[in-house]
Amino acid sequence: MSRAKGDWIRSRSLAWSLAFASLAAAAAILFAFRENLDKAHVSLVFLLVVLASSASGGRVLGSAIAVVAFLIFDWFFLPPYNTLLLRNPLDWVVLVAFLITSFVAAELLYRARAERAAVERAEALREADKLKDALLASLSHDLRTPLTTIKGLAHELQPLGDERTLIIEEQADRLNRLVTDLLDVARLDGGALPLDIQVNAADDLLGAVVQHVSGRPDRNRLRVALDDPASLSLGRFDFVHSLRILANLVDNALKYAPVDTPVDVTGGLDNSEIVFRVADRGAGIPAAERERLFTPFYRPVGRVADAGSAGLGLSIARRLAEAQSGTLRYSDRQDGGAVFELRLPAAFGDASPQQ
Amino acid sequence: MAARTALVIDDEPQIRRVVRHALADDFGRILEAESGSKGIDMAAAERPALIVLDLGLPDLSGLQVCTEIRKWSDAPILVLSARHSDQEKVALLDAGADDYVTKPFSTIELKARVRALLRRSAAHESNGATTILCGDLKMDLDARTLLRGGALVHLTPIEWELLRFLMTHAGKTMTHRQLFSAVWPGRAYGDAQQYLRVHVANVRRKVEPDPLSPRYIFTEPGVGYRFAACE
Repeated sequence: MSRAKGDWIRSRSLAWSLAFASLAAAAAILFAFRENLDKAHVSLVFLLVVLASSASGGRVLGSAIAVVAFLIFDWFFLPPYNTLLLRNPLDWVVLVAFLITSFVAAELLYRARAERAAVERAEALREADKLKDALLASLSHDLRTPLTTIKGLAHELQPLGDERTLIIEEQADRLNRLVTDLLDVARLDGGALPLDIQVNAADDLLGAVVQHVSGRPDRNRLRVALDDPASLSLGRFDFVHSLRILANLVDNALKYAPVDTPVDVTGGLDNSEIVFRVADRGAGIPAAERERLFTPFYRPVGRVADAGSAGLGLSIARRLAEAQSGTLRYSDRQDGGAVFELRLPAAFGDASPQQ
Repeated sequence: MAARTALVIDDEPQIRRVVRHALADDFGRILEAESGSKGIDMAAAERPALIVLDLGLPDLSGLQVCTEIRKWSDAPILVLSARHSDQEKVALLDAGADDYVTKPFSTIELKARVRALLRRSAAHESNGATTILCGDLKMDLDARTLLRGGALVHLTPIEWELLRFLMTHAGKTMTHRQLFSAVWPGRAYGDAQQYLRVHVANVRRKVEPDPLSPRYIFTEPGVGYRFAACE
């Protein structure tokens, strides 16, 4: 750190010394031919020195050189010599024009460099994101390939009648859910989460939730409905992430609420938002736990650790909601139970399809 | 029919084994390739009736293999993908792959997808039909009409194109991009693309008994839509 700083100071002072040395050299050469030179020659040569020093030493050096050049110009090259006074008042115009041109040029150069630096930084960030994404994709592939083999082989053995094969398949699925959660956390933390915000209909998302549970034996506990079945409710959100949020909430509700109770999922518009609610008739969340509900590794008090997840689901769900300018909140349900409410930006009249 | 050939392109011998087992009922001969370039050569030499292609091969990307094979073969290509790569799946479907299963898939799921693909490619050969029947839907391609339970369904021109495209590719996942270019030919894939989903929602409300529990038009999250494979 201190060494880098030393290097920086050294390179800075080198730039300053070089700039003043070239200004002095330019002034000396011009001075030797003073009688044969026009004001334009002097100002153009000095301007070149100002530009070169702005380029090598930055805006401050450029401006400093401009001021000193301005003084030298006046003192040595504009009559009467060796005084700051001017015989011809029009020379003031030349001097002031020189100074302004110098400052503007130094400033423009500085801005162009800053812009280029910003572009380069953005480029580097994009590269890093791409790398992260590629790394996570290959990790995902490497973790899921053996899981596929385990599942497939367990399935092949099922005709032999050993029920342990079913347990192997089930556990492979569980491991897969953990892998999915951990990879999602890695992508959220690493800022490598792709977002695809589109105009989507509530119908479509609720339909996908129904599809999500369609393979489960307890699928009939799920009841989906639209707040206003007569019209299309549209929102601007990422379909895949929103489905992941609702699927997680539905899975939780089916798992934690009593098996003979329904789980209600609804969708509809509320002012400038599209709202999805997942409501159950379980025990709800005690007031003392609500703060921790959306933190990683949360698990309901008194629940055994072996409930089939790492407790990452709700924290991922909330972060996915926030990533698409939405919110995810908990509230008690009237007459008992829990309600999770996902709010996302609505899409309005401008989203009506053109024929 | 028992001598039908399938080709499995995957570098993992254990995955090839699982896939081979799942395909054994439907294929008399199952070839295996452990790299993309070998897979392309075998597909050219053996002309298989089905190609199962893994993403994440050591030598070539799945997209390269798929694009190369599609230049001269229209055998159905089923992609095996690990999740977290929706974009890659979409790119492969756009490049001509027919369907995908996500790892870790079950043998039952794989078999079902394969049979749907085989049915589709068989139906393709005996094409020329001008009416498509599915459940209580009857689409007449010549008259450009859709009957639902015998009653005429009114569709806007865009809705008609959308449904026609989905029904003529029943059983196959169509990407948002493919649907977009079918409905708005020649238009750049861009802003109007987002209304695609709104049109699908409208079509569903006209043809599905319960739009929240679709029987005909299924959503493939992050990829596109698929019309049910009808008998």
